Amino acid sequence: MDAATNALTGQGISLSFGGIKVLKGLDVTFRAGEITGLIGPNGAGKTSLFNCLTGAYSPQEGQIAYAGQSLDGLSPAARAGKGIVRSFQHVALSLDLTVLENVMIGVARNHHAGWLNAFLPLPRGRAERAEMERAAMGALTDLGLADAAHSLPDALPPGMLRLVEIARAIVGKPDVLLLDEPAAGLNNSETRDLMQTLRKLRSGGLVMVVVEHDMDLVMSICDRIYVMNFGEFVACGTADEVRRDPDVIRIYLGSDDD
Amino acid sequence: MSDQNVSLPLSPVDQAGWRSLISAQVGTWLLIAVALCLPLVVAGSWVFALGICFANAIGVLSVSVLVRYGGEVSIGHTFFSAVGAYTVAILDTRFGIPLWLSVPPALALGVVAGILFAWPSRRLSGIYLAVSTLALALAVPEIINNADGLTGGYEGLYVSEPLVPGVKMSLQRYYAALAVLLAVTYGLARLRRSRQGLALLLSKSHPAAADAFGARQVWARVAVMGISGGIAALCGAMLAFAGSTVSPSGFTFWAAIFLLVGSVVSVYGLTFPRALIGGAFLTLIPQFLSASGAWIPVLYGVALLGVILAGHYLPRLTQAMGRRKGGA
Repeated sequence: MDAATNALTGQGISLSFGGIKVLKGLDVTFRAGEITGLIGPNGAGKTSLFNCLTGAYSPQEGQIAYAGQSLDGLSPAARAGKGIVRSFQHVALSLDLTVLENVMIGVARNHHAGWLNAFLPLPRGRAERAEMERAAMGALTDLGLADAAHSLPDALPPGMLRLVEIARAIVGKPDVLLLDEPAAGLNNSETRDLMQTLRKLRSGGLVMVVVEHDMDLVMSICDRIYVMNFGEFVACGTADEVRRDPDVIRIYLGSDDD
Repeated sequence: MSDQNVSLPLSPVDQAGWRSLISAQVGTWLLIAVALCLPLVVAGSWVFALGICFANAIGVLSVSVLVRYGGEVSIGHTFFSAVGAYTVAILDTRFGIPLWLSVPPALALGVVAGILFAWPSRRLSGIYLAVSTLALALAVPEIINNADGLTGGYEGLYVSEPLVPGVKMSLQRYYAALAVLLAVTYGLARLRRSRQGLALLLSKSHPAAADAFGARQVWARVAVMGISGGIAALCGAMLAFAGSTVSPSGFTFWAAIFLLVGSVVSVYGLTFPRALIGGAFLTLIPQFLSASGAWIPVLYGVALLGVILAGHYLPRLTQAMGRRKGGA
């Protein structure tokens, strides 16, 4: 399947909580092989859109499809099974697990050893664990976290935890990668490393969407950027186009009337 | 992402199987060695009591696994242990089936009972789930008494089939319970390292994140309850064999509460030593206090308070002393 058809699309997505319209009939296409940025002020509806795409929320109206196949009605777990993976705005790691084990969960959907393997020392279970460890260690190494592999999350600074979340998201080689504020809490050096990693991940088959407030990151790595405000798209285009858009300037800098 | 071979730094979590089970502590091996030798040096009544202690330790593990992997508390686990106990006892008395053949169906029925309970209660959590398990605990003695044609009613059933013909029965009761306890702690150590175990632990703390990586919350709830129910059934099976009799008085609401107490006392530990602490608190402390007459409940309460406070403050005291030594 080529990059154009291998896209994550939404048509007329509307979501309301009570009487408040959070998303207002959004039409969107996230293409494979591109990094798409999703920006906007707090409360614009970016994370709500993510939640609709991953199945955490069910929009009242509209259709969501990946590679031409409808995702409507599929649970988050079922969508994960189709290779649609996300990271979270607030770090969601288990404090009972080491960093390595947290990342291993990202690759779990690709393994299917049964329950007996969970309790008994059977070869299939051992091989599964070894493969998961190897993949997780590879992702941690790519993000410069190999030394922290056996630490518990509560022993690490917030920036590193954010990177661990990203490692967990990318380790399973997803088809769709939705990153919710991946640079939040990172210092400049860590953000630069993250940008490099995301650029390396850009491939013909991967749909990557990044919600981010760090404009340097968004403007430098994203091929296309959607700008949201009050549940609507107010602009869409390349970094240069978005930067020059008067609506975007008004949203971020305020108008003379404000 | 790099596809090249990546070498893994060695760590305690890389230690597989038995080494993981004993948390790489020589003390645990010593404890196991002592447990293996005890029948050679202690009196028969203590051998009997220790067999019951091992069985109760399995019950403590069944509650602890629910807390550790599900983040939930049960005050009705005697329901599942009764399932295991009566499976073994009925197969023994009605069909003459020995323990090694009756334990697998007991385990399977415990798992099924756990899943059947978990499914309708899958959306409940916290105090609501705990209270729903209370319903199980309250129902057990009545169910057993009303099904007296099968269960022996108030009188109960006597488990007499030997596991290994020709070997002294008291030793069989002791070692069978010890072996199952060791097997359960081993299985739980492996679960902690398994894909399913990792997913369950993430689901406990961040269900939405686990969901987003393919581990559905409902699956996690049902799986944990099935595992816990199965282990509780093994506890019942061992209580039946080690104690030789099965009756409703062993599966009351208070027995369920004491399983939870044992789990708290063991700080929800899933290792052999921790389970033993819980089992001992249920079995051996009352035996030690048996000469205290009316003071037994008071002394038991004091001991309970002491153990909980020690469990809570000892690690902090140790840390503080370590810091003081480091600073000196």
